[in-house]
This record gives sequence, C-alpha cells and structure tokens, in this order.
Amino acid sequence: MQTTRILVKKRIAVLCCCCVAGLLLLFVRVGWVQAVRGPELARMAERNRTQDVPVQPKRGIIFDRQGHELAVSVATDSVYLMPADVRESGRSQEVAATLAAVLGMSAADIQARIDRPSAFEWVQRQVDLSTSTRLRRLHLPGVGLVQESRRFYPKKTLAAHVLGIAGIDNNGLEGIDLQYESLVGGTPGRIVVQKDAAGRPIAQTTHRYEPPVQGANLFLTLDETIQYIVERELDKVCQEAKPEGAIAIVMDPRNGEVLAMASRPTFDPNRYRDYPAENRRNRAIWFSYEPGSTFKIVTGAAALEEGSSSPQSRFYCPGSITVGKSRISCAHSRAHGAESFVQVMQNSCNVGFVSIGLNLGLDRFYKYLDAFGFGKPTGIDLPGEAAGIVVPRARATQLDLATMSIGQANAVTPIQLLAAVSAVANGGTMMRPHLLKEARDQQGKLVKKVVPRAVGRVVSEETAAELRTILQGVVTEGTGTKAFLEGYQVAGKTGTAQKINPAGGYFSDKYVASFVGFAPAEDPRLACVVVIDAPTGYSYYGGAVAAPVFKEIMRDSLRYLGVPMQGVQQQAVAVQAPAEGQVRVPDVVGLDLTVARAALQDRALGVKVEGEGLLVWSQSPCPGSTAQRGDAVTVRLTTVSRQGETVRVPDLAGKSLREAAETLERFGLRLQAQGYGIVRSQRPAPGSSTRPGATVQLTLTSPWGGNGEKKDAGTEKDD
Amino acid sequence: MDAKRVLRAIDKPFVAALLMILALGLLVLASANRAMASDSLFYVKRQLVAIAIGAVCAVALMRSDYSRLSRYSRYVYVATLVLLLAVLLFGREVRGTQGWIGLGSRGVQPAELAKVMVVVAFAEFLSSRQGQLNTLRELLPCFLYVGVPFALIMLQPDLGTAMVMVAVMFGMMFVAGASPRVLLGVMAAGAGIIALALFLHYSFGTWLPLQDYQLMRLSVFLDPYNDGQGGRGAGWNTIQSLVAIGSGGFWGKGVFHGTQVQLNFLPELHTDFIYAVVGEELGFLGAAGLLVLYWILLSRALQVAFLSKDLYGTLCVVGVATIWLFHVVENVGMSLGVMPVTGIPLPFVSYGGSAMLANLLGAGLVLSVNIKGNRSLF
Repeated sequence: MQTTRILVKKRIAVLCCCCVAGLLLLFVRVGWVQAVRGPELARMAERNRTQDVPVQPKRGIIFDRQGHELAVSVATDSVYLMPADVRESGRSQEVAATLAAVLGMSAADIQARIDRPSAFEWVQRQVDLSTSTRLRRLHLPGVGLVQESRRFYPKKTLAAHVLGIAGIDNNGLEGIDLQYESLVGGTPGRIVVQKDAAGRPIAQTTHRYEPPVQGANLFLTLDETIQYIVERELDKVCQEAKPEGAIAIVMDPRNGEVLAMASRPTFDPNRYRDYPAENRRNRAIWFSYEPGSTFKIVTGAAALEEGSSSPQSRFYCPGSITVGKSRISCAHSRAHGAESFVQVMQNSCNVGFVSIGLNLGLDRFYKYLDAFGFGKPTGIDLPGEAAGIVVPRARATQLDLATMSIGQANAVTPIQLLAAVSAVANGGTMMRPHLLKEARDQQGKLVKKVVPRAVGRVVSEETAAELRTILQGVVTEGTGTKAFLEGYQVAGKTGTAQKINPAGGYFSDKYVASFVGFAPAEDPRLACVVVIDAPTGYSYYGGAVAAPVFKEIMRDSLRYLGVPMQGVQQQAVAVQAPAEGQVRVPDVVGLDLTVARAALQDRALGVKVEGEGLLVWSQSPCPGSTAQRGDAVTVRLTTVSRQGETVRVPDLAGKSLREAAETLERFGLRLQAQGYGIVRSQRPAPGSSTRPGATVQLTLTSPWGGNGEKKDAGTEKDD
Repeated sequence: MDAKRVLRAIDKPFVAALLMILALGLLVLASANRAMASDSLFYVKRQLVAIAIGAVCAVALMRSDYSRLSRYSRYVYVATLVLLLAVLLFGREVRGTQGWIGLGSRGVQPAELAKVMVVVAFAEFLSSRQGQLNTLRELLPCFLYVGVPFALIMLQPDLGTAMVMVAVMFGMMFVAGASPRVLLGVMAAGAGIIALALFLHYSFGTWLPLQDYQLMRLSVFLDPYNDGQGGRGAGWNTIQSLVAIGSGGFWGKGVFHGTQVQLNFLPELHTDFIYAVVGEELGFLGAAGLLVLYWILLSRALQVAFLSKDLYGTLCVVGVATIWLFHVVENVGMSLGVMPVTGIPLPFVSYGGSAMLANLLGAGLVLSVNIKGNRSLF
C-alpha cells in the first residue's frame, strides 16, 4: 500500500509536469503571436474590416506654350453598388434587372456583383449624362454614382500623337500623358469603408476620406498655332499626294523646343478605339527611313569640319561612279560635270558626295554619325522613340561608306534628322529636342522646369556658318527652290529615297520624299523637317512634294512669330520701332482666321471679325502700323471655294509681288503686275466680289521712292 | 459538518481561480453576445442560469461524501451509456453531430456530462484493480470499459469529446499505476493504426469513419491558407482567430472594441473561439492571465489529488483535471493555430450549459475530495 501511494504521488507529479508543459507551450505561443506576429496580424485585421474605394485624381491640364488648353479633364459619373445594402433591401433581383436595362448589361452579371462578399463594386464606369440622370431618379437601394474624371482633348486631332491618350482608369497610355504620368496623373485618393465579415459597411463608423492629389498642369513647348499650321499643311498634302504617311516637326534649333509635331494618318484621342492602332503611331519619332539626300548635310558638315573638303574643293561628275563592283549614279543619270563643293550640294550630286565620303574615310564618318546622334534615340520626352538603324561599324565596307554618304544604307527617324540639322542651324551645338517646358501644380507652384540641354558640340561655328550659306544656295539655286520664301532666307535640303521594305530590300515603286531646313538662315529661329511617306502621283521627289509643305509651314509660322522679314518689309519695320505699351500690327491678310487670331492675340491685340468664311481678305489697322495693346484689329473674312461662287478680293497693299501672288493664289485669283517694289494700288479694289479665276491688276512702286507714297498706301486700305 | 470547518478546509486558491475564470468568461461572453444577437445579454443570461444550476449541484456534491459515490459507480456507468444511447436514438442533429437531447426548448449535450460521469465510474473501476495493471492483458478490461462510451460518442460523431475520453483514460490509468510501457505501447499502436488508415485512405481511397471535409478541418491548421479556397474555406476560422489574437497586442483593444469580434470575422466566437475574444479584447494581459488562472486551478486540483486519503478520490480529481487540461490545451491551441480545429469548449468560459454543468460538477467533486478526503484534517 505504502509503495503504491508513493507511486501514485510520483505519477501525479509527472501529470503536473504535463500540465506545466502544456500551459507553458500555450503561454509562449500567445506571446509569440501577439508580440512577434502582432504588427502583421494587426494589419490583416485592418485589411479585413476595411475596403478601399479608390478616388481617381483629376489629371492635370496640358497647355501649349501660350497657355492654350490641349488636354483637359472632364467629370463623368461612374455607377457602383454596395452589395450588402442591395441584399439587405431585399430587392436585389429588381435592382439587377433595372440596372441591366438602363446600362445595357446582363442582369446575371450584375446579380453576380451583388452576391459578392465585398463592400463596394463598380457596375459601369464613365456613363453618359442621360444615363446617370436616369439612374439618379430611380433611387435604387445600394446603388450610387461617383464622379470620376476623364481625359478630354478639346482640339481633337490637333497634336494627337504628342498628347497621347488616357485610358478608362484615367491613366496615361501614350504620348505626353504616359511620359509624364507621375506628374500629370496625380495621386489617387481613397475612401476607406469599414465593413463587417458579410461585407456590409458599418453605418456608425466614419468613413475615412483621403482626397486625391490632382495632377500637375503641364506646359508644353508646342505652340498651338504653329501646330495648327502644320496639321493644316499635312492635311493638304495628304489630300493632294495621297501618301501612306506624312510627318512634319517644327523645332526651335536654339534650345531644342519642339513647337509642332504632327503625323499622318492621325486619330482623335477622344475616340481612339474607333481608329486602327496603326494611326496612333507617332511617326515623327518612330518612322525609320533612308533619309536620302537630306543626309548630305551631315556628310557635308563632317567633311568641312575635318577639312577633308572645303567649299572651294572641285569635283567632277560623269553621271556615275564605281565603288568596288557597284555603280552609283546621280538622279536621272545626269552628269553634272565639273563642280565645286557648293555646287555639289546645290545639285545634290551623288557622285560628288560619294567622293566626299570616301575622302573622309570610315573612321571619321562614323565619328560624326555618332556625334549627330544617329543610331540612338534623341532622348525626346516621348515614349516609343525608335533608334534608327546604322550599319555596324565593324561590318562597314567602302561601298557602305559611299552609300551612307548619300543617305542610303542607314535609317533615321524624322526627329533625329531634325535634331542633327538643327545643330548646324544652332552654330554647331546640338540641343536635345524636348516637349515639356514646365509643370505647375494646381496652386501654380513650379514642380518641374525643363532647362534646354545641349547634347554637345558637333561642328565648329565656322563650319556651321559655311554650311548655312551653302544650304541657302540649295533653296535659291539648287534642288530646293520650291522652299524659297520671299522675305526670309531659307536653308535646307531635299531628299528622295526608295522606301525600305520591312520584309527586306526596297519597294521598287515607293519613295520617301523629304525636306529639312531652317530659317532665317543667318539667325535661325525655326527648323523644320517634312517627310512624305510614299506619295502617289507624278512626282515623288522631295523637292516637288515636301519642299512646298515646308515652305507653307515656315512662311505662316515665321509670320506668326513676327520674325522680321528681310528685304522690303524689314526696311519699313526698322523705321518704326514701337514705343512702350505699343505693338506693331502684324500682317494677317491671306491667313486663316485661326492663325490670324493667334497672331494678333499673341501681340495682345483684340480681334473683331466681320463677315463669314475662313480667309482674311482685309484688316485694319494696316500691317506694320502701331497700335495700343488691347486695341482690336478688325479682320474681314471671305469664303473660298474653287468651284465658283464669288470671292472677295484681298487687300494687298504693302505686300511684295511674291507675297501678293501667294495670297491671291489662296483666294483662287490671278495676278497681273506693273512696276517693281511693293503693292501700291490694286484693281478690283479690296473687298469687291469677283469670281475665282479672275485677274487682279497690281501697281507696284519702290518703297524708297521718298515721296510719301508709303503713307498713302496705308490710308488707301481702309475702304 | 459545519460551515466554518468547510471554509477552513476548502482550497481557497482553487476557488478564487475558479471564480475569476467564471467572471472573465462572463465578461468576454457579454462582448461576444453583443456582436451576435440583438438581445445584448441573451447568452450571458442563459450562461448565468447554467452557472447557477451548476453551482447548486457543485455545492451539493461538495458537501456530500465523495466516497459514497464509489458505491454507485456501476449505476453511473450504466446511466452514462443510456444517455449516450438515447442521444443516438432520439437526439437532435446540430451541425452534423447528433449530440443534443431536447428538454423543452432547451437541450443538453449528454457527451459533456458523460465525461465527468465516466471519470466517477472509471475511478472506482481502476481503484478496485489497484496493483493489477501491469500487463496488456490486465489493462484490456480498462480499455473496454472506456471503449464503450468512447465508441458511442464517436458514433454521434463527436471526435473532440471522444479524444477527451481517451486522454482522461490514459491520465487516470497512468496515475493508478498502470505500466507506462504498456500505455505508451498502446498509444503508439493507436497512432500507427490511424496513420496507416490515413495512408490507405489517401493512397487507395479506403473507407474512413470521417468525411474528407472533416479530415481537411483537422489538418488545415498547419497551413490555413491552403484550404483550397485561399483561406476562405476550412482555414478561415484559424486565420481569423490568429488575426484576432495577434492584433490584440499587449493591452488588447478593450472589451466590446475588438474589430474581429464585433464585425463578425470570428466564427463561433461565443463557444469554440472565445479565447480569441479574450486575446483580441484583453490582449496578452488577459490571454496569458487566463492561462495563469488555469494553472492555479489545475495545480491546486492536483494538490488535492496528491493529498487525497484514498486512491478513489485521487483518481476522481485526476480525471477531472485531465479533462480540463485537455480542453484548455486543445481549445486554446486551436485558437492559436497549433491544434486541429475540433469543437471542444474552453472550461468555464465557453458558452454552453451542459459543459458548464459538467465542469462545475467536476469542481464540486474536486472540492469534495478536498474537504472530505484530506487526511491532514482527520
């Protein structure tokens, strides 16, 4: 008995140890769960009982450099439902059926959302106004509307490729809207809804609201007016030449600010789904093509800089040259005979340039290819830029050198070529092209400022100056005469090359016509590249197809910017320097109303429109006179239709013969001139109606006559 | 026996710990109650009624001489079997378990009472076999004795309570002097048979007394997110319980302020998972404090067993203490994700009249042994 009792007590002690072990294990486990895993589990508890309802921020506005809105945000309603509330109301089938009918969805789909164990479900995003009004009136239990904002591009296709698109979730998908998403997109806010395990929001608890931070406003380097001019000219050339694509970029070569960038085919970013995806491609930075003769500017720059050729170097062109086993011919196999470097450039002589390239040698040629930025993206602030294609240095042969010298074998993008030529325009310093000027938050505080950045010096000032003179010759005497602009010295180069077949080789019947240049040649303000991809029609040459587009863009843009003209009008301008608070009235006769309005507003002048139509046929006060800031300039409009009707005769007083001719051409009128100088009088008188095709007789006199005739010309205009 | 002597003899730490556990239990039950029912004291009221009935029974038991119980052990055993048979024949099925016998609008769970009743009967069975528990042959009758009620409970099926039976049987047999080697051998054999059955089931699809979903519920605590529904299926309870306890921190979120509790993320929060309510609302302080109280309760009970004048009293107390220990370890362990999820309540805390009654009867038994069986008093 005694031993048994001792045994029992021992066993009780062992059982006691089991107790200690079991409880100790639980004790340690509780401590571990609460102390070590505590923070993590507390977060889970928080996540358990809250549901975030995101509140989209409003995207910032995208302005052009003048402060015109290019992309805005508009508020639209989105439909959501609180599943638990709907279920609690006991009318979930009715709610599903009604919603389905109003929103055009399937009732089963909506029912599925109602049955979900969540506190918040979207039903349909961004519904139109009539739908949201109807829903508001229905007062369905647990169904609500929340305001979301949607990107709206008020100018539709204008600069569509640059601005890009924003998707349903208000996020940037392409273009500037994607590139600067972090700036312009803002930070989403949220509503934190407390819910229980059944997903029912808790009524008593306050919902935490974290307001979204609205996106910053972007100010682009684009100028809406110049963009408009570019778009207009591309539309025109597309109508006339029916190309597969067309591209134009205008840039300020001094700082790399892109003033306009357009590409065809285009699309309306508000309805981007209605267009083929192909249209959304920004060809200005993506399209890779053989630049052809436009590239000879680079070859020439390299040769002059390295001293392997000088402007006086002599060349002889027999019509073709043999490199290795291949023959390279000039256009139309024409022999240019003996020519200087300048003439080689003017004639765009292939044989001459092959010699220039071969003299330069592969090493030096590649040095400049690299310096001018070929084969790598320019770094412009847009997504999707192509790098172009450069024959790898290691594989390059003498034949490659020869063909590269005339702009073949390598592929470039329009922006690359423009950046390279702009370097020549800018005295040899290459600027990185960019589109963003600055970003300001909603309070107007500066968030980001883009300082123009030099990529580097590619050629010396002297070489750049020499080239500018030579390129001016191309326009006045050579292949680029169609880009000649009265009043401005234009430097530029045409180019025509066979189009690369993506499947390999070239298309036998497709060409890429291009023109690249800048003006005024001695003090370049604008550089522009025009690329027409596979134009149809009798002429596919850059000089015939692209140069006129270039000219139109340059003329209107330079006039819009108020770049003083050389020659005739410059004299007049020099005489009358405007006093403080006064501005010079720009010449807007012959311009579209849009461009005219922009040009006037740019100088703080008001606009008074008389008549209907598109073209300005007269203005008062007259061009070149001075006016007070804020004064209104009256512009009188006329409709223009080539098929007949009547057209008003424009006021041509003060214009040069060439300008008068261009203006009349726009009105569909012919010209007969007498004398020399500027227009002094005209018949029929300005404003009279006449049939298109009628002739206007002009009398021109020298502005330096010294007999006060100029003043008369001014007063004469007002009738 | 006058009240003064009783008061002097009674184990005060045991009673104090018991009362504090009951008070803490009512407090968290009130919180759980508020999250569950529109009548914010519905469960609390019913629990109070159960405590009152249990207390009366316990005091009666305490004041009676436990040794007289031994004479009725056969009847107690038979009554247990009758109750368990009755529930199988006439019982109501609640959540897949036929464990309730209706008594008017309320009901009792015979299995809860059976635990204490089997202890009372088995103690006599064992003490009469004292010194003859050394071979498997000698132990076999003991296994059969407990095996019958065990089988009846398994038929309900109530795996949790059945496991309590097994634990109690081993605990009492161990203290009664059974050969540890044989006991370990039987345990190992049982584990081996279960492992083999599971292996055969998963490999060849042989029959098991459990459905697959029940097996899943038992094993999911090891990885609650791997329940085939990403933590929203069988693992949900374990996850939400862990989240509740873990988010309680040191001080807790305060009674009535546990988000897991009040927003109904915790399942079965008034019964199986009431420890998670303690953990979330009273923090480490409350959760660990409750464990300390259980330690006092159990250690004092074992002290009583230690000092009991006869083996019958010792075995009764050991049996009751084993029930409590198993319940606490299993219930708290399940809330902490270290034990499989089986629905057995936390003694004196979980809502449930039958369990409360049984546990208070157990406490009465312990105190009876404490008062009547203490050799130092005589």
